[in-house]
Amino acid sequence: MQPLANGGGEKLLDLRVLNGGQHDNPPQVLNQRSALLSNYEVLSLLRELESDYLARTKNALRVKKEEELAGNHTSKIQAPTEDVCENLRTIEVEAIQYLSADYQPAVSQTEAGIAQLTKSLAAFNLTKAEKLQIVNLAPTEPVELYVIVEELEDRFGEQMSGMLNVVRSSLTNLPSAVPQANVQTGGIADQDVQMVYTEDNTQDYLDEDGTWEYDANEIVFDDTGDGAGVEGDLDVEDD
Amino acid sequence: MFVLSIIKDTVAVHPSQFNVPPEQAITNELNKKYANRILHEVGLCVCVFDLAEVGEGKVRYGDGFLWYKVIFRMTVFRPFASEVILAKVKSSDEDGIRLSVGFFDDMYIPLIYLPEPSAFDPNERAHFWLPGSEAKSSHELLDSATADRMYVDAGEVVRVRVESDEFYDDEPGPPKATEGVQQVQLEARRPPYSITCSIAEQGLGPVSWWKDAGVEAMEEG
Repeated sequence: MQPLANGGGEKLLDLRVLNGGQHDNPPQVLNQRSALLSNYEVLSLLRELESDYLARTKNALRVKKEEELAGNHTSKIQAPTEDVCENLRTIEVEAIQYLSADYQPAVSQTEAGIAQLTKSLAAFNLTKAEKLQIVNLAPTEPVELYVIVEELEDRFGEQMSGMLNVVRSSLTNLPSAVPQANVQTGGIADQDVQMVYTEDNTQDYLDEDGTWEYDANEIVFDDTGDGAGVEGDLDVEDD
Repeated sequence: MFVLSIIKDTVAVHPSQFNVPPEQAITNELNKKYANRILHEVGLCVCVFDLAEVGEGKVRYGDGFLWYKVIFRMTVFRPFASEVILAKVKSSDEDGIRLSVGFFDDMYIPLIYLPEPSAFDPNERAHFWLPGSEAKSSHELLDSATADRMYVDAGEVVRVRVESDEFYDDEPGPPKATEGVQQVQLEARRPPYSITCSIAEQGLGPVSWWKDAGVEAMEEG
């Protein structure tokens, strides 16, 4: 961008500063890794984003149809955010697909389950990275725990089965009659990253058309019921 | 696998978006800029997590946009070193195995990170592991009975350990004009962000290998 030069060819400093605003303020990364997020948290976030997007587009379509029917061809109310970034939609859909795959534990997890899991894991002397991986991978076999935790036998020889039990129970437990209050996830963070979700969002979303196909073994949450025990069938192989 | 990064940037909101609440308009612009893109030395940006600080919108001379200085948090995909993750095998060749997690597929397992002893079967186009074998060369390994071989097939779900990752910033240099005609250089493009993984340990590799393995397998190893 050429700054406007006045007759004398002098630099117009103020204009250059304004026009070159972008160059003076390049994007800066203040903190590359301020917090770690669990797969479950990211999955919930993406699902929420997607359901908002779907609700908005449905709404926009409905408004458009109504206007057409009313004979109002000049839609004064432009659908806000109509070009919600294709890139965002692409990565949203692909990441949701990956995180909710049947070989991943995230679908069998709930906020309460994870909160309980992190609390129970605090009793063991595990590093933050190990705890996060246990939440992400939900190991139910000793060999799985072996790859995650360094020197498993030396540090936790006897407690191994205790750890695995804690993981198992976080998956099969369904919260019974969860109150409508906001539930905090057991996120592991450097600073106190508290992510707050209402139970409503998840339930609403599951009632809508899922955009991905439901596996026969997919566990459908029934938060409103008495909490029927769910058999988290993790050992089913994809044939 | 995912982290939060705090980023500071300047965002321009177009007048057509003035009817939208500013947080939403700003978030949309940020997502347009960052979503599904690699940020050098940071990782693969997934989506804006939230806005931490937003300055007052200022109008600049020369355009009608409202410019905001923003500090926000971004959800970023960047597995840390030695993290164990699940991925799918995308393809295999003589140099190793390529993996994918759906939204990202520049993940590779070079030959050195395959369990010992392994070889590449050119007929199956897949690597296989021969546990407990004393064979030293691929030639000997390829002589083995097919039934004993533990193949790593395309499409299989594998448990891998992230060994390292690499960022490559390929800023195009000034165009080189030869005799007034611009030469378009077609060089092999290196991916801006790639991850190197390993399946060389006990418990890693196709998840089916270790199902119900129990403690006995560990003691054998």
